[in-house]
Amino acid sequence: MNDFLKKAFQSYYLKPEISFPERFSRREYAFIFWGEKQMVRHISFKRREELLSILRRRVPMHAYYSSAYYEKPDAPTMNEKNWMGADLIFDLDADHLPGAEKMDYGEMLKLVKKELQKLLSFLLDDFGFGEKNVEIYFSGGRGYHCHVKHPEVFQLGSQERREIVDYITGRGLDAKDIFGEKVVETKRYGEKVVPIKRLEMPRPDEPGWRGRISRAIIETVKEIRKGDKGIEKLMEYGISRTRAEKIMESLSDERIKRIEEGLLDQSPEIRRFFLKSAIDEVAVSLSTGKPDEPVTSDIKRLIRLPGSLHGKTGLRVQAVKIDEIEEFNPLDDAVVFGEDKVKVKVTRPFKIKMKGENFNLTPGEAEVPEYLAVFLAGRKIAEVK
Amino acid sequence: MNIYIAAKYPFLKEAKEFVRREEVSTEEILHDPLYQRARDLGMQRVNEAIERGMVGNYVTADETDALMTIFSYPIARMIVAGIGSDFLRSRYALAEAKRAYSSLIKEDNDFVSGMAKEFGIKVTDGLKIYFTDYLKNAPTWSEKWKLVNMPLKNGWVELKKVELARLIQENLRSRLYNELLDLRPPASIKKVFGDDVIRIKNLMQRKEMERKVEIGKASISKFPPCMRQLLAAAQSGVNIPHVGRFALVTFLHSIGMETDEILRLFSKSPDYNEERSRYQIEHITGKISGTEYKTPGCSSIKTWGLCPVEKMDDICRKVSHPLTYYRYKWRSKK
Repeated sequence: MNDFLKKAFQSYYLKPEISFPERFSRREYAFIFWGEKQMVRHISFKRREELLSILRRRVPMHAYYSSAYYEKPDAPTMNEKNWMGADLIFDLDADHLPGAEKMDYGEMLKLVKKELQKLLSFLLDDFGFGEKNVEIYFSGGRGYHCHVKHPEVFQLGSQERREIVDYITGRGLDAKDIFGEKVVETKRYGEKVVPIKRLEMPRPDEPGWRGRISRAIIETVKEIRKGDKGIEKLMEYGISRTRAEKIMESLSDERIKRIEEGLLDQSPEIRRFFLKSAIDEVAVSLSTGKPDEPVTSDIKRLIRLPGSLHGKTGLRVQAVKIDEIEEFNPLDDAVVFGEDKVKVKVTRPFKIKMKGENFNLTPGEAEVPEYLAVFLAGRKIAEVK
Repeated sequence: MNIYIAAKYPFLKEAKEFVRREEVSTEEILHDPLYQRARDLGMQRVNEAIERGMVGNYVTADETDALMTIFSYPIARMIVAGIGSDFLRSRYALAEAKRAYSSLIKEDNDFVSGMAKEFGIKVTDGLKIYFTDYLKNAPTWSEKWKLVNMPLKNGWVELKKVELARLIQENLRSRLYNELLDLRPPASIKKVFGDDVIRIKNLMQRKEMERKVEIGKASISKFPPCMRQLLAAAQSGVNIPHVGRFALVTFLHSIGMETDEILRLFSKSPDYNEERSRYQIEHITGKISGTEYKTPGCSSIKTWGLCPVEKMDDICRKVSHPLTYYRYKWRSKK
């Protein structure tokens, strides 16, 4: 049944473009072969040619390597492998983003890209990694992988990696201390001296989350004022229409100016709205939820081999340069197969733009370019004889 | 470094230098009447660690005093190593680290950052430390210390002096504990401090015995991995973070354990203080406060870093609360 896909993959693996991981022979490799459920793992290679030979001869459906490097990468148990260190890996996947299930493939990937940009901003600005320490890969599926290779992170344990994830996702953020009270003046009432307090928000140039929240609040205010979408935006955060209208009315130029000056002495409701929308704006949505998934804090996880093909799309796990993320289009740039026409039997209606061409498929027989045929067969949208 | 500072921080390289410069053998330190005061002080360090959980700050009136204080530190270490109780090792390491902290917070910024550097913590630009060093030393199980709540920029976390001192305390504690594990004390320790060594040894053995209490009707085999891990830590005298203790106490209380039973489990902890622990337990269980705190759910436990992800089992994946896990196991056994 998978003959078509396997043959197609075989033609790619005759001359693949693999980016070999550094510490090549210290990594564990793993494969899933066509028609097999069980992953074959605990494999190691002394030379690159040995890996290429497996790809060529056995043509895997999926190919992985370990983020960790080991003294004995091919030992059957984790203990015997003797862990030496591991890259820091982040997964960004459309599956975890709200609303993604209603989107088409292209829209979904765009949404993930936004998360990727947020992640990069954390890694480069807050954690201070250089661009040379950060590698981005399109996963071949519905997201991106980010590999951090910096000598200071290799030795970090699982607990410490979880702290980094919490930082990036905003988990455990102490929101009640974000706004502080500040005495701006004192008033005398006879004998009594009463301090006048103002609720102050963090300055935009403060380090860490405080500055990020401040910048996001100012951004939100501008956005609300700029368009006529303010009320809708407020309602997204569970504020009723009448309240939202009142809030918009009360957001006078004077008040906006005060917010920009760092004073947030607004009603608790407005404060909550700004804080919550700011946190949503800043936090990265990472795949950390489901227990079976490989996560960043796992120091012994497997990750797709860059340059290999994703068995369910036929797209290549493709390196993306940081300054080319914006223009990167997986449905163009990660496509490896050619234009030769292939007869397929489409099983459900499907729309996609691939290699710059729009396809609008309806159930039944069709003739499509090989690259689309592979994609459709992989995603089980069409059958190929 | 002047000798008075060395006496305050006898674990520093420079302090060790004062000892080396005297050119005396271990045997002389242990037997020569000249060092009687150092030996007394050494014993005092150990006793204070056991009784109060913190070594005292000794007044050093003159250089001889200071030198004796410096010498008392390696002597105390030899005594602790000689007794060979793991409970004592952790308790003493914590007590020395707490003493160092209490002095450190009175020093100026340069001094504190200098000490951080000596401990291999990367410091720059005053009191900024590199985030990996922060993660390795900070008690991030507490919300206040989570990295997400710290000012992080370009890889550096900006700290206040007391915060950096706290990280140094933790670094010193684990460093000292590991050194004590490796330390081979001279055989004559038992001769010199004979009676005291026997007394402390007995005391420690009693503490170890107390720890091995039955948990009554609670069945450990039905505990979720997180609680099993916390309980094992409490029973082996490892210092458990506050949130961990909170989670464990609420859990044990919910499954029907009494304050006294819970108390006995905690008596092994290196900073155990019966009165304080009883107060805390009764506060959490509602006896004092009137509020009966609920056992935190899986998401809080994960946030606090108490969920041993690698030990998660199939039941963990089905439930979102440690108590649900426990009840589930009860049901499925019947």
